[in-house]
Amino acid sequence: MKTFLLGIVSALVVLPIGALAYFRLGLAETRSDARPPAWETRVMTSAVRASVRRRASSIQSPPPENLDDAIVAGGKLYFEGCAGCHGQPGKAGQDLSHYPSVPQLWQVGTKYSEREIHWIIQHGIRNTAMSAYGPFYSDKQLWALARFVRRIDNLPAGLLERIQAKRPPTAKN
Amino acid sequence: MKRFLIGFLTGDLLLVLFVVAYLRFGLANVAADAPTPAWETRWMFSSAHASIRRTVPHDLKSPIPTSDETLIAGGKLYLNDCVGCHGAPGKPPSDFGATFYPPAPQLARDGTTYSEPEIYWVARHGVRRTGMSEQGSSYSDEHLWQLAAFISHITTLPPQVRSAIEPSAGH
Repeated sequence: MKTFLLGIVSALVVLPIGALAYFRLGLAETRSDARPPAWETRVMTSAVRASVRRRASSIQSPPPENLDDAIVAGGKLYFEGCAGCHGQPGKAGQDLSHYPSVPQLWQVGTKYSEREIHWIIQHGIRNTAMSAYGPFYSDKQLWALARFVRRIDNLPAGLLERIQAKRPPTAKN
Repeated sequence: MKRFLIGFLTGDLLLVLFVVAYLRFGLANVAADAPTPAWETRWMFSSAHASIRRTVPHDLKSPIPTSDETLIAGGKLYLNDCVGCHGAPGKPPSDFGATFYPPAPQLARDGTTYSEPEIYWVARHGVRRTGMSEQGSSYSDEHLWQLAAFISHITTLPPQVRSAIEPSAGH
């Protein structure tokens, strides 16, 4: 029993030291022009989902508003600030420049809820290229973006045209 | 001895299970807008540098001379594509670069401890799990070396180079 416990304790010491040495000696690959292995993507994606779900659950719902208008406003923000990495409609492709790859939202949509998308845009995702946009958007804009991104691969009819129109029909007032 | 080995394997298994459970239950904070602890920054930056030092081929050398023209060409590329995150010479650090986790190094303010071939390597291949994407697919090799030359001299630029790349000094 005593040797068994000694074995456990040794493992608890050796494994972290091994991990630290692995990094310190520069054995961890840093190049981002390769694709993550499937297991890594699965573990990391589920860790991020679980963490976001846990933290976004306390976000207050937005004040009621016209949903279509919010989606259009969010879509316009998307084309200005997000499309560069997250893609344009009708353009197939995969991001091969970042590690992990940036989700191409028009193709894959999102499994996150509006609340969770709001949280992600505001706070960003650590150790990815998704930076925190909280300092650059108002809460209203964050909700508009969340409404839009939630439906990005399944937009209600006519909204994409309104988003891409040079001037929204209501711009006069 | 056998007992020790069984214990050792059990300990390994426990650690791995603990880490997986920690991640699976969402206990790892993924917010990028929390300050990076100093030890983490130091640890990650030195690990990345160690890895890059190890991967860069030892005979990798810039094929172009470090002339004023090279620095100016690199500076123009830098001011087009890199300033948004890494900051412009003589300007305050980038607000946008600070919103990444880890934050983008403020090259214009702090310079870099990377050698020229290492900068070339980072620009070309990017750095995993940061905001630094690979640029090898959008820049020619010559442009990457010009950038590397500029960045390695970014805090000690000769005045004539400085004025040549400043947009206001163009005429």
